[in-house]
Amino acid sequence: MSRVLLVTGGGGVGKTTLSAALGVTAARNGVRTLVVTVDPARRLATALGLKDLGSEPSPHEDEPNLWAAMLDASASWKAIARRHAPADVAGRLVDNPFFEAATQHFPASQSYASAEEMANYVEARAWDLVVVDTPPSAGGIEFFSSPAEMRDLVGGRLLRWLTGGALPGRRTLFTLTARPALRIAGTALGSDLLERVAEFLMDLRTIYDGLSRRAAQIEQHFRESRTVVVTTADPAPIREADRFYRDLPDMVPHPDAVVFNRVLPASWHQPEPPSDGPLVENLIRWGAEAHRQTDVREEFAAHWKTEVATVPWRPKTPTSLDDLAALIADSQGLSRERLGVV
Amino acid sequence: MLERRLIIVTGKGGVGRSAVSAALASRAVHLGKRVLTVAMTDQVGLALHLGRERLDYEAREIRPGLHALAVHRPAALNEYLRVQLGVPKVTRMGPLARAFDALASTAPGIREVVTMGKVLWEVRREAWDLVIADGPPLGQIASHLRAPLTVSELVPVGRVREQAEWMMELLADASTSGMLLVTLAEELPITETREALRWLGEHQMIDPPQVVANRILVPLQATSRQIKEAGPGPVQEAARMHETLHEEQQRWIKELPPDLQLPYLFGLHTPPEVAARLADVWGEG
Repeated sequence: MSRVLLVTGGGGVGKTTLSAALGVTAARNGVRTLVVTVDPARRLATALGLKDLGSEPSPHEDEPNLWAAMLDASASWKAIARRHAPADVAGRLVDNPFFEAATQHFPASQSYASAEEMANYVEARAWDLVVVDTPPSAGGIEFFSSPAEMRDLVGGRLLRWLTGGALPGRRTLFTLTARPALRIAGTALGSDLLERVAEFLMDLRTIYDGLSRRAAQIEQHFRESRTVVVTTADPAPIREADRFYRDLPDMVPHPDAVVFNRVLPASWHQPEPPSDGPLVENLIRWGAEAHRQTDVREEFAAHWKTEVATVPWRPKTPTSLDDLAALIADSQGLSRERLGVV
Repeated sequence: MLERRLIIVTGKGGVGRSAVSAALASRAVHLGKRVLTVAMTDQVGLALHLGRERLDYEAREIRPGLHALAVHRPAALNEYLRVQLGVPKVTRMGPLARAFDALASTAPGIREVVTMGKVLWEVRREAWDLVIADGPPLGQIASHLRAPLTVSELVPVGRVREQAEWMMELLADASTSGMLLVTLAEELPITETREALRWLGEHQMIDPPQVVANRILVPLQATSRQIKEAGPGPVQEAARMHETLHEEQQRWIKELPPDLQLPYLFGLHTPPEVAARLADVWGEG
């Protein structure tokens, strides 16, 4: 079985770039590595210098041990329905207008689809390491709760309420609108919407057993994964990083590394600058920013009693394998052994 | 922009939507307007920039002229049922509220129409001169704007349909509703902003947005010779960093010229400081 490295964190912190950088580092250390990202993050392709990136893992031309793939969450969902539902139901299900809506708009759905794909890659045993750039919509710990949330959606909260615990027959359903609450709902909604949704959920519920089993396996993979939380010194990503210590589901171990990205040199903060002039004023401004970053890092480390790693701020986004490898080489406090990239 | 009655602020995650919303609200209050700010999807960001831990579903006064609320979904759903659909005494109708809640996580558009509905309802009832919505991230803006239409397609008759119709009208009225698209001068935010502009142009559900580029560096007032003469060390490093970043930003700004640029703020520690400084910048023109 492959080892898994999950790279998580809030939007815009450079998660994809760091996933690629960790992947390149591992590959150059002789670890057969697959880096997976979720559509529509084209950053991975750009970072790795690839023209395009398919949903099938493809080997990198210039890096013998490196593979990359971009997941298409909506296509994954169709595959999930076909995998877990009886053949006749699966066709009806993917054609249902609610299906696309439920799978695209339900917040856990994109996360779950990528988690299930992750499990497939892990079990394929074709790689030593699978690096997963978690979906931006998940932001943080939602990725880890997505199997449980999907079980709940597919288990049919509405359906359970409508029918009680057991899976009802279709005929039961059509007599349901006799219930007073549903009659009022029908009046307000002016249609048979509830019934149509219930029908859809009944079809969806046929995938429940399969999906439940799969969800449990995915949670097992989570337990065995290494996790990196990426953040910057900005308040929004810091809030996401905090949640990894505050709200993490029981099954997930604490992060193996917290990486502060886009870090300025602490030496730029000089209480007594050497002289004046525009260049020194510029240093004072950037020094104030460097100082703020240091404060935020120290506060985070002290509050959660953890060590934090830093990756320097590069004014240009890396677009070559060497740039990516340099990013990790210039990082501080990042244990490559612990992350399994050596 | 501030002459309208609703401004929806959106942008890719991490570009500073909440900071810009709070700053814009401060500016409007300074101009003597009675302002409501609404946190639509992120409950915390706007609160922090207004100097609060959290926001309630009931509008609360932050300071004279400035009010704020956050759309909490169960409360919003309840109000949507009661006020907009006229379903009486929802508290006693537990099962119905529960059915709606389950529906909201399954049927397309319901969740979003409840959130949009709250914002548009606050505009419609005319208690405020201006409503500033700290909106959903760019990836969710299409589903929110389209939600009334989606729901009216789903439910072709009845009160839901009527509600959807006035919502669409209010959004489409350019003298009432406007949108700010916040971006950074970086590859991904610019690409996503450009795609959003294309989508908005094709669907015409709201007046074309104004684009605000946040965290823009001013050019360094020094020649490359001066930088070279500074010699190795922090002064030169910081100068080169600034120059390279500035050049990169200008490259992306050329790709998508913004209507307004907001400066990079160095070394500010707290969200209210950031919002106050941005509001000052706005005031300076």
